Amino acid sequence: MIFRRIIQYLLMLMLAVFLLMFLILPLFTVIGEGCDWELLVEVFRTPVYREGLLNSLAVALVTTLLVAVMSLGLALLYDRYEFPGKEYCSLLMLLPMILPPFVGALGFQQILGYYGVVNTILEQCGLSRIDFLGGEGKFWSVCVIEALHLYPVLYLNLITALGNIDPAMTDAAANLGASGWQRFFRIRLPLLKSGFLAGGSIVLVWSFTELGTPLMFGYNRVTPVQVFNGLMELENNPLPYSLVVVMLAVSALIYLLLRKLLGAQAGSAAVKGTMGSRAIKLRSWRKLLPVGAFLLVALLSILPHLALVGTAFSRRWYNTVLPEVFTLTNFENALSNPLVVPSIVNSLRYSALAMVIAVVCGTLAALISSRWRLRGAWALDLLSMLPLAIPGLVIAFGFLGMTSSYAWARAIFNPVDNPLWLLAIAYAVRRIPYVVRAVTSGLEQTPEELEQAARNFGAGPVKTLTGITFPLIGANLLVGGLFAFSFSMLEVSDSLILAQKSIFFPITKALLELSQILGSGPSSASAFGVWAMAFLALTLASAGILLGRKIGAVFKF
Amino acid sequence: MASVFIDKICKSFVSGRPVLQELSLEVNHGELFFLLGPSGCGKSTLLRILAGLEKQDSGSIKFDGVEISSLPPEKRQAAMMFQNYALWPHLSVFENIAFGLRIMGISGKKLKMEVQSALDAVQLSDCADRRVPLLSGGQQQRVALARALAVRPAVLLLDEPLSNLDARLRDTMRGEIVRICRERSQTAIYVTHDRQEALSMADRMAVLKDGRISQQGTPRELYERPANCFCGAFLGDINFIDGRIANGRLETSFGSFILSGECDGASAGAIRPERIKFAAPDHPEAFAAELVDGTFFGDCSQWVCRAGDTLLTVKESAPGERKIGEKVFLAFDDGFLLAMR
Repeated sequence: MIFRRIIQYLLMLMLAVFLLMFLILPLFTVIGEGCDWELLVEVFRTPVYREGLLNSLAVALVTTLLVAVMSLGLALLYDRYEFPGKEYCSLLMLLPMILPPFVGALGFQQILGYYGVVNTILEQCGLSRIDFLGGEGKFWSVCVIEALHLYPVLYLNLITALGNIDPAMTDAAANLGASGWQRFFRIRLPLLKSGFLAGGSIVLVWSFTELGTPLMFGYNRVTPVQVFNGLMELENNPLPYSLVVVMLAVSALIYLLLRKLLGAQAGSAAVKGTMGSRAIKLRSWRKLLPVGAFLLVALLSILPHLALVGTAFSRRWYNTVLPEVFTLTNFENALSNPLVVPSIVNSLRYSALAMVIAVVCGTLAALISSRWRLRGAWALDLLSMLPLAIPGLVIAFGFLGMTSSYAWARAIFNPVDNPLWLLAIAYAVRRIPYVVRAVTSGLEQTPEELEQAARNFGAGPVKTLTGITFPLIGANLLVGGLFAFSFSMLEVSDSLILAQKSIFFPITKALLELSQILGSGPSSASAFGVWAMAFLALTLASAGILLGRKIGAVFKF
Repeated sequence: MASVFIDKICKSFVSGRPVLQELSLEVNHGELFFLLGPSGCGKSTLLRILAGLEKQDSGSIKFDGVEISSLPPEKRQAAMMFQNYALWPHLSVFENIAFGLRIMGISGKKLKMEVQSALDAVQLSDCADRRVPLLSGGQQQRVALARALAVRPAVLLLDEPLSNLDARLRDTMRGEIVRICRERSQTAIYVTHDRQEALSMADRMAVLKDGRISQQGTPRELYERPANCFCGAFLGDINFIDGRIANGRLETSFGSFILSGECDGASAGAIRPERIKFAAPDHPEAFAAELVDGTFFGDCSQWVCRAGDTLLTVKESAPGERKIGEKVFLAFDDGFLLAMR
């Protein structure tokens, strides 16, 4: 028995070393490189960087507000009413989650561009064209696109929080004479704090550090894009490191501020009793309203992607409402570009390896904290969840810093020679939290007695794991793996920063390069994007079917 | 089958709050032994320690004289029937029962035979291919029993196995478990908080309180000769009668009575309600009382009588008709008024 404990602790130690090396060390490296006071002062002195920082903050705030309004409305609808198609609504919410805004931005320009769909309609109605995407328009476009991408994160957290509110609490308020609005503002909304904190902090940090969307829109006056652009001359100018440090500090500040604002202990009063669903059944035409709202939001969020599909299949879509002349030429063009096919192969290799690493590490972390209960498991749990709070850009930069600072790091993964391990580990580290969450929720829903029974009937620890535990949480393992895989396939920040040679480009970087080719570029990039989306949709649909509503648990922090 | 020897087991989950305190116990070969106690008394913890699912802080456990304290759960041959059954939902009934047998290396025809005989024993012969979630509560409970029996364990551990069943099914299963254990002369340790279950099924039993054994013995010994107030009250209704104890007699406000049991250090007398009888006024031991209250149960009535300044509960089977407030005469059955510490 002692021998087994030793093995368990050894495994924990290995995991801890892995996380320290590939999560904490990169972080440490960035901070080490960027914590140059002169440079930090310069960041705040230079108007361009100051403006970038303020713009990023503004994007984050506006995006989060948009997200809060959208997701609160939808979550309340979902919780309050019974309506046809309700069971598919949460699945519908996954759609924007999986369609990366990076790709959608291409399509968005098709809709709101000066010669795009909306403006054509405006002109046909006898109105003058509006330059939506010029000047201030870019800012709002970035916010809207990111909000439409991120609202499911908050929505899923709110749904869970709402599900934990005992209807008896609002009943008690009603019993004491509180009106509907009072019940909402005095009881339900305060009880939702924990959900807001969990989802809101992810959305804030995510939108604050999002690189792909502003890059695609050419909205360059934001910190992440400035960091990315500074990459080229990193050798002579280490300023991007300082920018990253500032970004990290602001992210941490945002999180702490939100925590302070919403209160960490909020929601702990939500006692789970025996409760049935209190959803109200809607009658006649009204029952179509909620599902209509869901469809409308979902449609809005996939509109850019629909436009992308239109662009991909048409020869011409310029100054008309609908695309003209069906064609497959764009797909041919895309495939004939020397970047495309290798990038698909690259992405598959990186992501498959990343998935394996993430699943192994994540499962181990989940087992350690919710089964083996080793000493110090809480620290490991915290460590493995940390990537959710650290912007991808920061970790990517950390890896870059590591390859230049440490000889051993340069030997294992040189981004110039072969970034396979570099990218796979970078992808994996940031996907570990999803695996941990998926597996932990599986373990928590599986009574430990089932495993104890197996031990009781003579099965050793390994046989118990393979014969009982893994089959029982198979769906969760699969979902964790699928998430790790598909998020890696369309990962942006690591891919753009760490893949430096064109033969090693993953899909996203190839997509960016392709879209910047003048002329046919955007069309073939669209075709390429369609392929990537279809692929992702397929993997995630299967995940959704496997796990149903529980999928929300994966995004909780 | 094996005998079980438990020696000075200590266990605490939070330091300073012991769950088991130097608990020692011996269970003989082939015995159906009951651990009875209120919730939180440590009885399930003891069972889990026997199965190896918890580790004791100190003390030793021997099966048939062999020390097993340091063995992992899978080496102990102490098959347990879990309170919530713990049937594996991803395996069929057959596979659930075959699990332990396969690990023992049994396969093919032998495996089928063993599983079938376990299923026969619990009278579920035609359920082998069913899936666990589709079974009723009673069927799941029997599958769990079959699974534990199939491996022919040295010791069978049952953790409140009948607590989730309805009253009728519980009665049937009580009989079944006793029958199976007797037939196989299976050493079994059965944990429950249901005194009826313990009294009706046990060969021997122990009452646990705060992690210690309060008393052990046969059901009749424990019921009729409880060693202390706790055991007396836990196993059934009992009247405690205050008075002065001298020369083996209890002097009360309504008479003087012979006590049985050890009188040294005793502080009160105790008698079960069914051992107080309505008597004729000329009965030599009779004392007068006033009928204060009554509840009619059909096969019996429970009366409350005031004798002197003491309220006594009296259980009368085949009850006669009586009026509240009337004067009655009562007598204690010979030898059932116990001296209580």
